[in-house]
Amino acid sequence: MTVEIRKHICPYCGEMLDTADKLKGHVFRMHKGRGLPIPEGWIRLTVNRSEYNLKVEPKWTLNHLIHEVLGLTGSKQFCDQGACGACTMIVDGRPILSCMMLAIECDGKTVQTIEGIAAEGHPLIEAYTNHHAMQCGYCTPGFVVTSKALLDRVPDPTDDQIIEALAGNICRCGTYQQHIIAIKEAAAKVRVRKTAGKEET
Amino acid sequence: MKNFQHINAYSIDEAISLLRHYGDRAWIIAGGTDLLGKMKDAILPSYPEAVINIKTIPDLSYIRRSEGMLKIGPLTTLSEIADSKVVRSHYIALGQAAHRVASPQIRNMGTIAGNVCQDIRCWYYRNRNNRFPCLRKKGGRCYAIKGDNRYHSIFGGSVSGGCMAVHPSDTAPALIALGAKIRTSSRIIDAQDFFEVKPIKTTVLQTDEIVTEIQLPEFPSGTSSAFLKFALRQSIDFPVVNCAAVITAKDGKVEDARICLNAVHVVPYRAVQAEKVIVGNGLSEAIAEEAGQAAVARAKPLEHNRYKVAVARALVRRAILACAEGV
Repeated sequence: MTVEIRKHICPYCGEMLDTADKLKGHVFRMHKGRGLPIPEGWIRLTVNRSEYNLKVEPKWTLNHLIHEVLGLTGSKQFCDQGACGACTMIVDGRPILSCMMLAIECDGKTVQTIEGIAAEGHPLIEAYTNHHAMQCGYCTPGFVVTSKALLDRVPDPTDDQIIEALAGNICRCGTYQQHIIAIKEAAAKVRVRKTAGKEET
Repeated sequence: MKNFQHINAYSIDEAISLLRHYGDRAWIIAGGTDLLGKMKDAILPSYPEAVINIKTIPDLSYIRRSEGMLKIGPLTTLSEIADSKVVRSHYIALGQAAHRVASPQIRNMGTIAGNVCQDIRCWYYRNRNNRFPCLRKKGGRCYAIKGDNRYHSIFGGSVSGGCMAVHPSDTAPALIALGAKIRTSSRIIDAQDFFEVKPIKTTVLQTDEIVTEIQLPEFPSGTSSAFLKFALRQSIDFPVVNCAAVITAKDGKVEDARICLNAVHVVPYRAVQAEKVIVGNGLSEAIAEEAGQAAVARAKPLEHNRYKVAVARALVRRAILACAEGV
């Protein structure tokens, strides 16, 4: 997708300016007390290794953008108030709640969703199905994304570290015990892969 | 959410001038975990015309030692503080407090200044679509006094004797006990003078003022600190009561003590009576128990929150004993 170059026109006097920042300064100086023009809202976003140029509305959350606009429906929106962890995504290496982050503030960021983790063939997916760490499955993408961020940081987590890292995810079916088993198995597989990769090169 | 104007500020001065431009029609966004909840539920009678993003201001996220102080940038996330070596070794109470806030994901987003400046969690105030126009929204009465007040103040109310909503921050009592100073764009305020109860306001910040730094003094050797939190769940929960204590002892005698409770009063509550009990004494189980009693001697619980008095007493006692282990 390409960004077309737009002229920035003052809504009060019609003056044309080169950049959004200049327009903002112009309205600020010349039209005291008037509302500033809504900025263009174009952001650059890397989602699962694909780059996007997107026009976003200020009120959109990151979850709305990725779930409704880009159509990646893996991450769920459940509580919509930052209390359940079902919408967790990895932004710049850290797990965050996409329902509590504005899309317009994600300019230049790198996002990984559950689809990206599945496309990598990450052992977590297999371990979660093998150990049946789910019942209804609605919370599972959030859990897998959070665990993936944990394994990136801590290759060999202890039980306590896993419990600590998953403290922000809620599973109403109560499958918590299985998560620890699944994550430990996946961690072992990731370590094997890494050493195998090193030997090949 | 309704739509609004979203403006990135690239310097503190720009943020301030934008705030002056809009007056109280603009809200500041940093981590956004508190603000977006407020906007989604439309809890207030007013809705912001503009949201000013301060995450785009460079160099506001740091933890560094200089001029005999530990300086923390306002945009430092809570997980950065909880993971910081210097905080964990010298400012244990702050590290533990930052670590107990909400959930790991929220700690990755939420900032220290946002945690201090967050709004109250009273369920009447927070009810959707401004269903209860209470005193904190310039309305007529406090609905908690005759309603369900199990999580409300045990030390009386404010806003002309009314509002009973407690301040929910975890890091605020730690900062107060550690004697922190909060630098804003126009002045430096002691952390314990930072909180104020007014309609749609929890701090003394003016509409065109933002927090620019948090400064912690260095402590002499023999100082230890602790933070304890009682909540219904271990994670993703606001405190029912929390308590931070900082104690300096020499030759087995307490020279200085600062104890601060939160979620028990409309602002963080410094337990001065408990401090008086332990200063000059040794740290023992009996003294800690006496201090706990003294801390809640003036409590005036409401109909449903008598249990919080016992919780506060126990937390003060345990926080003092936790410090005693570290001295």
